[in-house]
Amino acid sequence: MKLTRPPRWGILLLLATTLLFSIPLIWMVLSSLKPAGQLVENPYSLLPESWQWSNYSEALDSMPYLVYLANSLLLCTGTVIGSVLSCSLVAYGFARLRWRGRRLLFGILIATMLLPWHVTMIPRFLLFRELGWYNHLTALIAPTFLGDAFFIFLLRQFFLSIPEELSEAARLDGLGEWGIFWKIILPLSKPALATVALFQFIATWNDFGGPLLYLNDPDRFPLAYGLEQFVSSYSDQTHLLMAAAVLFTLPVIVLFLFTQRTFLRGISTAGLKQ
Amino acid sequence: MQKSLRTWFMMALPLVLAGSLATLAWITRPQSGIPEGREEVVFWHFWGGSDRAVVEDIVDRFNHSQEQYHVRAVAMPGNNLDMKMFLAVTGGDPPDLINQDDPIVADWAHRGALMPLEEIATEEEVRQLEDWLFPAARELGSYQGRLYGLCNGLDIRALYYNRAIIRERTGQPAPERLESIEQLDELATACVLREEGRLTSLGYLPDPRRLWAWGVVFGGRFTDESGKVTCDDPEIVQALQWMVRYRERWGADTLAAFRQGDQSLPGKTFPLLAGRYAIVMDGQWRVRDIPADRSGEFGVWPLPPPAGRTRQAEGWVNGNLFLVPRGCRTPRGAWEFMKFWSGFGGKEAEAARTCSQGGWIPPSQQVVDQPQFQQYLRENPLFARFVQLAAGDQVPTPVIPGARMYYREVNQAAERALYTDNPADAGSLLEAAAHKVQQHLDRIGGRREEP
Amino acid sequence: MPDPRRRKSRRGRSAGWLFISPWLLGLLVLFIFPFFASLYWSFCRYDLLSSPEWIGTEHYQRIAAEIWNGDGFGNALWNTLYYAALSVPLSIITAVLLAVMLSWRIRGQAIFRTLFFLPSIIPLVASSILWLWLLDPQDGLVNHVLGWFGAPPQLWFQGTHEAAHPGTMLEFGSKDALVLMSTWGVGNFMLIYLAALGDVPPQLYEAAALDGAGRGRRFWHVTLPMLSPLILFNLVLGLIKSFQAFTQVYLVSEGTGEPVGSTLLLSLHLFLAAFQDLEMGYTSAMAWLLFIVLFIATILLFRSSRHWVHYRTSLGG
Repeated sequence: MKLTRPPRWGILLLLATTLLFSIPLIWMVLSSLKPAGQLVENPYSLLPESWQWSNYSEALDSMPYLVYLANSLLLCTGTVIGSVLSCSLVAYGFARLRWRGRRLLFGILIATMLLPWHVTMIPRFLLFRELGWYNHLTALIAPTFLGDAFFIFLLRQFFLSIPEELSEAARLDGLGEWGIFWKIILPLSKPALATVALFQFIATWNDFGGPLLYLNDPDRFPLAYGLEQFVSSYSDQTHLLMAAAVLFTLPVIVLFLFTQRTFLRGISTAGLKQ
Repeated sequence: MQKSLRTWFMMALPLVLAGSLATLAWITRPQSGIPEGREEVVFWHFWGGSDRAVVEDIVDRFNHSQEQYHVRAVAMPGNNLDMKMFLAVTGGDPPDLINQDDPIVADWAHRGALMPLEEIATEEEVRQLEDWLFPAARELGSYQGRLYGLCNGLDIRALYYNRAIIRERTGQPAPERLESIEQLDELATACVLREEGRLTSLGYLPDPRRLWAWGVVFGGRFTDESGKVTCDDPEIVQALQWMVRYRERWGADTLAAFRQGDQSLPGKTFPLLAGRYAIVMDGQWRVRDIPADRSGEFGVWPLPPPAGRTRQAEGWVNGNLFLVPRGCRTPRGAWEFMKFWSGFGGKEAEAARTCSQGGWIPPSQQVVDQPQFQQYLRENPLFARFVQLAAGDQVPTPVIPGARMYYREVNQAAERALYTDNPADAGSLLEAAAHKVQQHLDRIGGRREEP
Repeated sequence: MPDPRRRKSRRGRSAGWLFISPWLLGLLVLFIFPFFASLYWSFCRYDLLSSPEWIGTEHYQRIAAEIWNGDGFGNALWNTLYYAALSVPLSIITAVLLAVMLSWRIRGQAIFRTLFFLPSIIPLVASSILWLWLLDPQDGLVNHVLGWFGAPPQLWFQGTHEAAHPGTMLEFGSKDALVLMSTWGVGNFMLIYLAALGDVPPQLYEAAALDGAGRGRRFWHVTLPMLSPLILFNLVLGLIKSFQAFTQVYLVSEGTGEPVGSTLLLSLHLFLAAFQDLEMGYTSAMAWLLFIVLFIATILLFRSSRHWVHYRTSLGG
């Protein structure tokens, strides 16, 4: 995109703002490496008096981190598969096929994005209880197989941009809709699918309310919930809290740094709808 | 086709990696296997830190003492333990036993979420149990005449005082007992310390959350026989007015500042140890915070009533209760474990050992009388003072539905009275609280208790 | 031979329904059923352990009383409105300004962009922990820095003040802390604005410059109108998101809404009413009212948009 000429004070402002925005994260990392005593006596000193990498091992020892991590990964894998599969199917139905009622139902889809989750929280809970899914990771994974409005929307936008001729040609060749979906559309949609996978991964990784509501066995807690439990027990040990927070955040940041392009493209597509 | 396959592979790779990592970690996680032939008893508790080791020791001893059940202790830290419990019960997968110290017995029993003990043990056993317990312990776990919870430890509060500071600031040794609350007031004023014009230490400062204790010591009751909410009882209002006199003397800002300072002491130090006060009301668990080399510095007084009144009650009591959720899988296993821990049914000696280890006040005189526990009391005279109080007339937070809301409302009324300048007077604040809680009670009352 | 067009459309129809069937199932089970179930329960007393018991409009009456008295639902509603009224505009302003800065021709924009964006993907659990530490009244960095400018230490998460409230002007309390947290995480919308900025036809700027408009006027009269559809989008989504804020509200108050109910936003209040007080009926009534309020607010926003949102005509865009 075309960049514009900055005002004279532009660089200064940009640098200052960047500093402001970055300080919290920097402070988190620095605090995680300080000895506990320093945080109490001298909390504003910039650098750690001694680099306490042991804070990290202590934090890891104080909670079943590997169990939490395993659960998080399990959840993420399940939900990503669920979302990618179901949302691409549904988006195909909305984007590449003509049928009566399509517009109305799509409107309903958009409307569901505006429904606050409080309205559906208790009935959902009841439903999952009746299905016997309470306290099982299934309760958190299964719903993703029923599609998510935002991802369906995203994928539909993308599918709409694939030329109709490709489908036409395939139909003339005798390929059914299912075949077109698998062999033509999906392969062309890898960037969009990657975006959905990425967003879903991060959403599941960060999800707190779901485990709070549906899980009560610590063996099944994912990291987000496990971290909150850790915070309740160690609320006054800031150095450990910071270390734990960094451990939880780092994978997401690393993931982002490796997939920046996918990320940024996905967000732009989301915004420029109208 | 080749290229397409490769790109699919590249996309699937991270997923496969994550999945295998997850599976690997899952398989290699420390297994808490159940020995063959035993039924699992899931036990939720909130003890952390050093207490957790004690809990695990008790669980081990129980598991080794019999072959039918295997208890798995799950540490559920944090507040909202009751919320998680409730989610579990309504979700259909509750633990078999839960240890709780919040006043929720009535709420849970009222809604049929708890199993009364008579459904798990025989009537005869339950009656024996009721005789075996301290009156306070029994009351804590009873709702509408039925025992729902087995108390495993009482929490008693009294006044800790610092002999050294009192001698230093009043020029006289601390009295062996307080005759009246007016004596407390005198000491409170006499022990004030100012440094460079700023107040750095007060003799005593009432905590608004302890209106529950002072209210009953003044002779009031927070509920009457019919279960009606009576926190606007004249005696309780008097107790709050007594507290308010401290605000009038020092100002709301000072009180708030001191309270704030107490809460932000590093490592949650006991404010008495930090020298911020000469006298502090707190529970028996604080005894462990006092280092051995300083224990001679401190003493414990029971709560004194206003002059001229005979004490109506010793104080306010809470405790830890074992509760059995309805719908759990192994209630009898829970019962066996409960008995083992608390000492009922012949296990008093074991329980004496448990309570000495954990520094807990047993729920029954029979455990207190055990030689091992008597030895522990001799070694910990401060703690012994609390245990002496346990047999007396200790009043628990009313065991009524909405007890937690009641607790919150009274505390908020008291906080408002103490920490804001020119609030409404004590009487109207408490009246408003009573009204609100009574409304809530009426709304949820009148519903069936039988499931 | 049947008409090929008709055959295609018939096939399209059944295939269409088949393809969207996962979502349809979800719609039924996760939206329609809950929608009507909670409507029904809002007229009942229900605790999930026994069957619902019809009590008519009692819950709604209670909510009305609470709004009047300013406690319970009324308190939660106020907290949420305060939070939304501050955080949504602030977020939009911040996001737009950041996007404008990122659209300048300065070296290393990719790095700046990353640094601005990162906070928005940090898990809310982690950032809540971080901000609890940063805004600690005694040891937090923010109060320390404020001290350099002579400002007294603020209570942030431990205070019930409301900085925008006339009584406690500029005394920052728990809700203000939440607003601050939300402003830090505007990264994703910033990117959307950035992309939109790139779509603004340069001719518009040139024309404005020729008319003598300075940098500020160009921003106000060209950039903002061009961004206005997105701003509307952001307003609506931001409003809904702020009404649904849960994780950070739970974390910073440890699930209690302390101090003294100042962080009891609607979602936490509903959650506690449901699973701590066992009042499913009351919760359902509140959820429904919430839905209606948001619905009306959204419609109002869209209506008002006619006056200030400038939709692109075919002006070379």
